[in-house]
Amino acid sequence: MTRGALIFAFNNETTDYVSLAAWSAGNIRRHLGIPVAVVTDQSDASGFDKVIVTQTAAQNRRYFPDYDQAVTWHNMNRVTAYELTPWDHTLVLDADYVVASDQLAQLFDVRSDFLAHRWAKDVSDCNDFRGLNWFGQHRMPQWWATVMLFKKSRTASMIFDCMNMIRDHWQHYRDLYCISKSTYRNDYALSIALMTVNGHVPYDGEIPWQLMSVMPQHGLTQTAKDQYRLDFTDTQNRAKWITLADQDFHAMGKRDLGVIVGNPS
Amino acid sequence: MDTDQLIAHSRRRFDHAAAKRLLREKYQARLTFGYNGGMWRATPEMITFLSLYGDQEVVVPDLYDTPVKFQAKVMRDLMQARWQEQMTAWLIELEQLEQQR
Repeated sequence: MTRGALIFAFNNETTDYVSLAAWSAGNIRRHLGIPVAVVTDQSDASGFDKVIVTQTAAQNRRYFPDYDQAVTWHNMNRVTAYELTPWDHTLVLDADYVVASDQLAQLFDVRSDFLAHRWAKDVSDCNDFRGLNWFGQHRMPQWWATVMLFKKSRTASMIFDCMNMIRDHWQHYRDLYCISKSTYRNDYALSIALMTVNGHVPYDGEIPWQLMSVMPQHGLTQTAKDQYRLDFTDTQNRAKWITLADQDFHAMGKRDLGVIVGNPS
Repeated sequence: MDTDQLIAHSRRRFDHAAAKRLLREKYQARLTFGYNGGMWRATPEMITFLSLYGDQEVVVPDLYDTPVKFQAKVMRDLMQARWQEQMTAWLIELEQLEQQR
């Protein structure tokens, strides 16, 4: 059974996602020892074991606080991970997910066909994620599409088919689940798909630790290999910092990560 | 009572507690591992329990409540090694944190 990572990378006007993904591919190979495929619209992308060229699907716009503007957000292709992956056992990661340990390697030994994070947490502890771990007026449990591990299997196939259906009929599902924001999100599609495929009872394929998240308004710098400094102001506007050493995290702000990738330690 | 001192102390304790919590999260995750198709967390209770079975085969539910069969000794050795390794790393990081503060 082949194992590998899959990253979706479509550049927009502010972020070079392909460079982020290539940098991440180096981290993935170093820590997890698996090959990395990228799905992109750039045929000359380098730094990957496989390049899967495809066109971007319809695009969204989303406000990013670190850029203080709404930018193009190419997030509609993620649902094609199942059909595009060259691997039997695939780890799908956001291009801005920083692998700084071998923690994710543990997941490949689990029998489950599909795993994802159920809980996310702000590493600075400044923001309460309770609101973000649920969605819609009915407070449905939110699953995070940032890290997904799946095997070629009937269950995983149905989950992605269902996500596809939700994306294609987003307005209907938005109305059904009373989601106030109009922008399509893979997290919502995944959450609805998992619930649906699992017979409308809570899905139990949860990655058994939290998705550590760095907020876009917080400053992120690299201080050494696999060591990062997070600068932020607390709720009383006092400057604080913490170190993240050998700790994987989701860098929700792309600007600082772009600087790190441009000047790696 | 010097209230400024009290406030400064209280804030330091708050920050310290947050940093400790972050470390705890990190090492709780590191204690988790996959084996024989199941997902496990190394705990003293589990290590002690597995010790009771010596070389025998045992069936234990994993973190997803799925029963998995394995050799108790093999699993105990794996868990013990992971526990020792991660607790030591946690202690070192915590000591560094105490020094910083």
